[in-house]
Amino acid sequence: MDARNIRAAGPDPGPQEERDQDLDEQLVLVARGDQAAFEAVYDRLAGPVYGLIRRVLRDPAQSEEVAQEVLLEVWRTASRFDASKGSAATWVMTIAHRRAIDRVRSEAAAAEREHKTAQVPVAADEVAETVEASLEAERVRRCLEGLTELQRESITLAYYGGYTYPQVATLLGTALGTIKTRIRDGLIRLRDCLGVTW
Amino acid sequence: MVRLLRHDLHILTGAYALDAVDGPERDRFEHHLHRCRPCGNEVRGLAETATSLAMAVAMTPPPRLRDRVMAAAAVTRQVPPPVDHRRLRRAASSSWVPRLATAVAAVSAAVAVALGVIQVSTQHQLDSARAQNQAIAAVLAAPDARIATQATSAGGTASVVVSRAERKIVFTSAGLPPLAGGRVYQLWLIGPPRVRSAGLLPLPSAGKTAPVLASGLAPGDKLGMTVEPGGGTSLPTTTPILLMTLPA
Repeated sequence: MDARNIRAAGPDPGPQEERDQDLDEQLVLVARGDQAAFEAVYDRLAGPVYGLIRRVLRDPAQSEEVAQEVLLEVWRTASRFDASKGSAATWVMTIAHRRAIDRVRSEAAAAEREHKTAQVPVAADEVAETVEASLEAERVRRCLEGLTELQRESITLAYYGGYTYPQVATLLGTALGTIKTRIRDGLIRLRDCLGVTW
Repeated sequence: MVRLLRHDLHILTGAYALDAVDGPERDRFEHHLHRCRPCGNEVRGLAETATSLAMAVAMTPPPRLRDRVMAAAAVTRQVPPPVDHRRLRRAASSSWVPRLATAVAAVSAAVAVALGVIQVSTQHQLDSARAQNQAIAAVLAAPDARIATQATSAGGTASVVVSRAERKIVFTSAGLPPLAGGRVYQLWLIGPPRVRSAGLLPLPSAGKTAPVLASGLAPGDKLGMTVEPGGGTSLPTTTPILLMTLPA
């Protein structure tokens, strides 16, 4: 725990940057049908993919199903990845988030989700976060704390909740224009706090 | 009004990066993104930021997921990459149809064939044949080597490898009609200032002519070929059966 906190307090952006480039290169190899590269990409991103989908959908069985679709989609469409437009991680996480909210926004799936959630309890061992995730989580948590309450709530409801910004506005009882602005301002502040360079 | 609308759209970068824009508004924003470079850059940075939000909630998936995904991938065909059609049109509008590697291989094979048929009876002939083939090999191996192939109006095809750095070309042909009466095929470098002979084609072997090396290539030169009396001429005397624009 101590070690975790020490590393979380000063994450080294150098290796992070290097590893991301490596991931870009792996994804380029995946597009050429390289299965070993695909396994490497899986090992790096299956955790975030599954975790994000779980966060949005909550239901473990449905999340696993969507995660499988997403990861297969990564294999199938790797040739569409364009490193000039963003990192490999972002390309994959964009697919994952879109697939998750597609489920959320389809009412049939929503009904099914409620039904299933009532039946399938969350297994405790499946909730365990990876060490790497806990480091990143710490970094992100600290940066989220630097936002205003409204910025933070708008961003987490939109991203983790899978809500559209008008839905967020309704949930928070705030004007549409205010929510749009707060999401943007908050994300910009978060970007600068995390040192995202693009 | 327009400015207000644009400003309004620009504010959507954050919500868009979080997938929180839906329906027609999303379409409008994406349309706007095509024309608004700063918006695109901002969306990229914010999308990378959203990725950090995803990384922060990573969870170890059930181990069976890996097996399932790998098994599914093994039997799933991948989509082909998108092709840049502008590039394709540029390629089609020039005459560099065959791929360089393939064509160089073909020309190299012709060199090998030529080596086989060159009659050498003295050490001097052998040395000059070797030197000639080394010079040809140098052009083929030049990093800037480009190849062009074109049909002649008399039938058959001409292939030329050009190295601007070496200022040389290597020419081969296949399927040219045989000439009667001792006439020969003659190559020309046709420049804006003047026309120079680039050599005579040797007699074909199995329909193919051994490579001809020509030096002194100048910018703007075209390659021509005419049928001339035996021994060739100093200037073309007939209508060219081939006129090629050489690759830059």
